[in-house]
Amino acid sequence: MSSAIPQVRLRNFSIIAHIDHGKTTLSDRLLELTHTIEARQMTSQVLDSMDLEKEKGITIKARAVRLEYTANDGLLYGLNLIDTPGHVDFSYEVSRSLQACDGAILVVDAAQGIEAQTLANVHLALREGLTIIPVLNKIDLPSAQPNVVLEELEAVLAIPREEVILASAKEGTGVPEILEAIVARVPPPKGSPEAPLRALVFDSHYDPYKGVVCYIRLAEGTLHDHDAIRLMASGAEAELLEVGFFRPQLVPVKTLRAGDVGYVATGFKNVREAQVGDTVTTVATPAAEPLPGYQEAKSLVFAGLYPVAGPDYPLLRDALEKLHLNDASFTFEPESSVALGFGFRCGFLGLLHMEIVQERLEREFDLDLIASAPSVEYHVNLIGNREPVVVDNPARFPDVGEIDSIEEPWVKLGVVTPDRYIGSLMELTTNRRGTFLTMEYLDPQRVHMHFELPLAELIVDYYDQLKTRTQGYASMEYEEAGYRAANLVKLDVLVNNEPVDALSLIVHRDRAQATGRALTTQLRKLIPRQMFEVPIQAAIGSHVVARETLAAMRKNVLAKCYGGDITRKRKLLEKQKEGKQRMKRVGSVEIPQEAFLAILRMDEG
Amino acid sequence: MTATPGTLPAPDPRPPAALYLHVPFCVSLCPYCDFVVVAGAATRGPASRVSAFVEALEVELRLRADALDAAFGRPSSGSRPPLASVYLGGGTPSLLPPDDVARLLGLAGSRFGLVGGAEVTLEANPGPDERGDAAALARAGVNRLSLGAQAMEDALLRRLGRRHSPDDVRAAVAEARAGGIASVSVDLLYDVPGQSLEAWQATLEGALELGVDHVSAYALTLDDPDAEGLTGPLGDHLPTRAGARRWREAAVREQDEDRASAQYRLAVARLAAAGFRGYEISNWARPGHESRHNLAYWRRLPHEAVGPGAHAFDGAVRRWNAARLDGYLAALSAASPSLPPGGSEAVHRAAAASEQAILGLRLDEGLGLGPASTEGSLLAPHLDWALDSGLLERFAGPAGEPRVRLTTDGRLLSNEIFARLV
Repeated sequence: MSSAIPQVRLRNFSIIAHIDHGKTTLSDRLLELTHTIEARQMTSQVLDSMDLEKEKGITIKARAVRLEYTANDGLLYGLNLIDTPGHVDFSYEVSRSLQACDGAILVVDAAQGIEAQTLANVHLALREGLTIIPVLNKIDLPSAQPNVVLEELEAVLAIPREEVILASAKEGTGVPEILEAIVARVPPPKGSPEAPLRALVFDSHYDPYKGVVCYIRLAEGTLHDHDAIRLMASGAEAELLEVGFFRPQLVPVKTLRAGDVGYVATGFKNVREAQVGDTVTTVATPAAEPLPGYQEAKSLVFAGLYPVAGPDYPLLRDALEKLHLNDASFTFEPESSVALGFGFRCGFLGLLHMEIVQERLEREFDLDLIASAPSVEYHVNLIGNREPVVVDNPARFPDVGEIDSIEEPWVKLGVVTPDRYIGSLMELTTNRRGTFLTMEYLDPQRVHMHFELPLAELIVDYYDQLKTRTQGYASMEYEEAGYRAANLVKLDVLVNNEPVDALSLIVHRDRAQATGRALTTQLRKLIPRQMFEVPIQAAIGSHVVARETLAAMRKNVLAKCYGGDITRKRKLLEKQKEGKQRMKRVGSVEIPQEAFLAILRMDEG
Repeated sequence: MTATPGTLPAPDPRPPAALYLHVPFCVSLCPYCDFVVVAGAATRGPASRVSAFVEALEVELRLRADALDAAFGRPSSGSRPPLASVYLGGGTPSLLPPDDVARLLGLAGSRFGLVGGAEVTLEANPGPDERGDAAALARAGVNRLSLGAQAMEDALLRRLGRRHSPDDVRAAVAEARAGGIASVSVDLLYDVPGQSLEAWQATLEGALELGVDHVSAYALTLDDPDAEGLTGPLGDHLPTRAGARRWREAAVREQDEDRASAQYRLAVARLAAAGFRGYEISNWARPGHESRHNLAYWRRLPHEAVGPGAHAFDGAVRRWNAARLDGYLAALSAASPSLPPGGSEAVHRAAAASEQAILGLRLDEGLGLGPASTEGSLLAPHLDWALDSGLLERFAGPAGEPRVRLTTDGRLLSNEIFARLV
């Protein structure tokens, strides 16, 4: 491993792409072609190391890897690839990664063309002043239409077609050209190695032996493996345990210089001492000013996470703390619910992020969790001259009599879709209180539609509906668009005449009754029959707007039980018992996990 | 007041009180059945495997008897009481030639011992080409016939994939009586798709008109042995066929818990009025006609079992033969035969306590509330809950001792209690 590549031969770049356009396959090929990973050790999706990432086929966390490439000019170059997440929930992570780069490979699927995230990511990259290397991928596909997409790139993003590299990452065609283009087009990093050290922390993870490992990009200065460092924002200091490159596993080196991308093992036990966006400098010759940091990740979706079994609460707290070391983009604080007991209010980047955090807690920490219905953050203006309150939990909503007005967050939504779905998507969005702004054609068949929509309407399965209605063809991205006044009410749910606070919702007044009906119907299907009749009601204050009755259980019997059945039936009964233990007892009613997410499933009928 | 079930018998292996022989042949497969059954060419015609199977079954009987001889001594010696019951189940054991049945029963008698007046049951299908010769079977030693009637309505029988008609059931019962079979039972099914409460009543009336001695009424149960992981090479079930799976998926959607509950309550009332005692959740008998063999299962008495998929219990360990016929025949037909493949599971003390409570509560004799064992007292809060919920009732046993049993509500919701007891 040579760390002595001069700064003029370093290139820092990332790959931006819409989900499934081939970013991961291209990364794999680049690793192979530069012998970073030998073909025999090559598994696909090298950079997606989490099981969940491999299963879902998405990148959740940013990652970095250093490639060493001997270019056609015969010289050795150090190429730092910073991988970025592909899902719309994680655009915040994308922008963070891009800040550590000087160039970006834009991958566009030659069959699918430009998608909503392509546009969003290109705008992010241009905002950071990055050089863009456009790549048309999957040209081997029979359905590829390179000319149409080339025209699209030219018309929509002003990318001249002669700059575009035609490639098939799967077959390896075009990949050498991409490596040459990185060398030729991406500018080398600037910044003097002699200046005092300033290195930006762009990600981190926690390692039980090395403590917090910070992923850094050195803007200026030089870092040696036993330097004492200081984090300029937190003030924390550390004797470094190790510095090195990602290959993609951590490989120690003696020195990192201005322009390098690598890691430092700090030994910190708490990720808060080395937050993403902080600047690393040396204790001996500290820099005067930190680098411009990042905006903090902003939680858009909030939900309560509760252990199914009350005594697991300390385990959940421990699990959240540990997971937070690797994913600082969610927030959590203790809360309690009358129905669910003690748990945590968590903030997420989006609904997918929420699912991922819940799944990781359940899998990696072996917990059974209940998530309450997701909510956004409301601004509630109170009567009298009181300070407005910020509420992200419907159960904590002030009394109707106290409320002067409510504001809710809106988003600007961009959708790219074949034009035959325009009508359907207009209907979907306006049914959810959205307004249509404009649209433009990307090519003769595809349009880019612009809407504004309350975020609360977006997080309730809008994305799934979009995919269903367009047979998977449409894509979307969104950004915040401020707060607006709204006529909202709190809808409570009573099960067996007891309010279940974790099921409360904030809904538009005009749709309260319809939502109440749909919700109670769905709950009647999701809650198993109990040994007595159970009324399920939706109410605004004391006014019941919908009611369903769950009939009493009539029969739960093993009809046959003879010699051969005894072991089997005992196991079936044990399963029934486990099923019951996974349910939450509210009053005298056993409610399964999925009932708490009924609000997300109401369109299933 | 706390309800505590009585103490446990010591979990040492004991000799069997009952013997089960599984005969896996049917003329055709019924889509709802998940017993170990083969049909078609294996059952009838030149490629039939019936006689090879009977020979293998005899070999297994001898090997099992050898093991019992070694462990407990010869039959009818002091520590080896003779069997009180033998049960030929299936499948359709009435397809066996009566001579084979006679040979098997003879072997059972000589190697295991049979008490005088032992109950010897054979399961039969009512179709004319499958119910067998009742008189010949009676001469072979069969004294109880269990008929798979299922329904007394043509349309429903067709829906269930049965090959017989209600008239065949009548003929089968008449032949059994004429042939000298002492006790006749019919199996009936409720919660069948398309079966109204009235249709169920008609089936019950039809069965009572036959003058049978015993009725087993089962809710149609459509479990999935594949999903339960029972169908592997050593599993005690065969994989579910695609057609049967589709039939069950459709049937399950037509089942109705409210209707099934009404049908069960009707059976409870109607059979009691006809002089039958509901001595088990799904079984009714005229006095003296309770199935002694099945009572052995519910009382956790040790039982021996032979044939593919059969389960045995020695008081400490539950053992089973694998379901697959090929493996079964291969092991037992070899030049030096060995016991067939299968598995076993020791029943630890806590499981034994819950088994005893669950099986005991299936019976109307219920559960004695004796001095508490450690395991028993763990179950006590659940029994208290069931008493409070009206699922259990207290009553005095034959010697005036305190006992509990399920109410009719409790029978219908028995899994709610049992799932707490496991």
